[in-house]
Amino acid sequence: MLDAYIGVSQGRRAALLAASEPVPDPQSARALLDTGASCTCVDPSVLARLGIPSTGTTLVNSPTTGTSPQTVNVYDVSIWIPGAIPPPFFLGTVAVAESQLLQSQGFHILLGRDILAYCMVHYSGPLNLVTVSY
Amino acid sequence: MALEKELETYRLKLPELRAEEGKFVLIHDQEVVGTYTSYEDAIKAGYAKYGVSSPFLVKQIQANEQVHFISRFVDPCLTLLSR
Repeated sequence: MLDAYIGVSQGRRAALLAASEPVPDPQSARALLDTGASCTCVDPSVLARLGIPSTGTTLVNSPTTGTSPQTVNVYDVSIWIPGAIPPPFFLGTVAVAESQLLQSQGFHILLGRDILAYCMVHYSGPLNLVTVSY
Repeated sequence: MALEKELETYRLKLPELRAEEGKFVLIHDQEVVGTYTSYEDAIKAGYAKYGVSSPFLVKQIQANEQVHFISRFVDPCLTLLSR
């Protein structure tokens, strides 16, 4: 589990500035690294605070969807993760799927393999420690 | 439902778009605006052309849409298409 920030994507930020509209502050959220997730998911409460519309859909299968994949909304966001050594990990435009139950499990973001693909993840069983580098 | 028209346009245009499979298509209403090599480029083009008040769809062109798998118990927020 780590702390991350979710903001509007770079393209949306530029459009908001061009329209002289305020850019929502990035939202702080707890994120769980999940190598069992092929895509990154964000709780709708975080997306609602950013006031962003969906710009896509994708198909998702999870233990709660049964055997048939379900169509879910996709949002374009930016994400950054402060590290022990600056600069932070930052992606200016990334697609995330909207998923509930994250908040009730103690986090708002499920960091999936689409984002972990930019990182090195090391799990030390004896030390009970996960290290993420980028 | 948001993006209903755009998703229908994608479905109708998919046979033509298959020649560019893997790229990202930008659709507004019933118009295929363009295709892009990256998701980021398509999103930026959408906001540059339509701003923040007009909906647009960005979707990777796939003859057989990829299904994402999540092993954890989460409840994907379904669109009306799934209900």
